[in-house]
Amino acid sequence: MNKKGFTILELLISIALISVVLLLLLRVMMALEAINHDKSYASDDEIARTEIIGNIEQDFLDYHLNGLQIKRQDEKTILTLFMDQEKTIIIDNKSLTYDNEKYSLKSTNATYGSCLTYQYQELENDYYLVSIVIPVYIDGENTTVKDDLELTYLGLKNELSNYPRHFTC
Amino acid sequence: MKKGFALLETIIVITFVSVSLLLLYGTFTSMLLNREKNIEYDDAANIYKMYYLKEYLLLNGMNDYMNASDIKEISCADFNFTSCHTLWDKFHLEHIYLVPYRLRDYNEDDYASSFNNYLAALSNREDYDYRLVGEFFYENQYSYASIGVMRDE
Repeated sequence: MNKKGFTILELLISIALISVVLLLLLRVMMALEAINHDKSYASDDEIARTEIIGNIEQDFLDYHLNGLQIKRQDEKTILTLFMDQEKTIIIDNKSLTYDNEKYSLKSTNATYGSCLTYQYQELENDYYLVSIVIPVYIDGENTTVKDDLELTYLGLKNELSNYPRHFTC
Repeated sequence: MKKGFALLETIIVITFVSVSLLLLYGTFTSMLLNREKNIEYDDAANIYKMYYLKEYLLLNGMNDYMNASDIKEISCADFNFTSCHTLWDKFHLEHIYLVPYRLRDYNEDDYASSFNNYLAALSNREDYDYRLVGEFFYENQYSYASIGVMRDE
C-alpha cells in the first residue's frame, strides 16, 4: 500500500466528529459560566447561609427557644433569643453575628435587609409556630428567597413563653 | 518514504481526542447536575421545616400511616387538626410523601419526574423505617427536603 497522507474524506469525518464533541463541551461551559457569574442571588454565600441556619436552628432545639425580642439600634437589627442560654443575632448591612461569630457577606452586590419578616402563629394543643426571615438584597432588591435566611421554630407554650405577636420595622 | 498519517494512526488519534473530550463533557455535565441538586434538594431551612412537621404529625397520628410498603402521599385530610393547613401554607408545601426507607421499586409513572430524581439522589446510609419527603413550591420552582422517621418514634 502506498498511502502518503489523509484523504479528504478522512479529514472531513475527523473534523466533523471533533466539532460535535467541542460543540457539546461549549454548551456545558457556557452554562457553567452563567452559573459562575450569576449575580441574581448571593451565590457566594450559600455555604455560610447553610451554616448560619444550621447553627441557629440546632440551638433552638438544644436550648429550647422560649421567646425573643427584636429591636433596631444604630442601623442594626438585634434579635435576642431567650433560650436556656440567651443568644443574640445582630444584623447589619453586610454581616450577621450570631453567638459572637461574625459571618460577612462575600457576594459583592449583596446586603442584609434591615427589615426582617417575623410571624407568630398559635396552633392547636398549645403549640405555636415562629417564622423569621432575614432578607438578602441584591443591588437593593430582594430578588429571590433562596438566599434569604429563613428560621422556623415549632414549640409548646409554657409559663416562660414570651414572643411578640407582631413586628413591623 | 512515509509522508503522512496512515488510516490506522488517524483513527487512533481521533478516538483518543474524542474520548478525552467526552470525559470532559461528562465531568462538566455532572458538575451542573450537582449544582442543581445543591439548590433544589435538602435546603437547610426546608430540612428544619420537615423536622418540625414530622414532630407535629407524629403527635397527631402519623404512625397510623407507617405500615405501607409503597409510597403514601399524606395530606391534611388524613389528620384531625386544623393547624395542619396553617403549617402547609406557611411552609409552602405542595405535597408530602411517606416513603419506605431504601425503597427501590415503585411505579415512577405515578409521580413527577422531579420527585423521582430526588428519591434517586438520596443516600440510604442511615437506619430509618420511613422518610418524610416534602415537596415545596415557591418562585415557580419545586424543591425537596426529607427527614428520616422511625416507627413509634
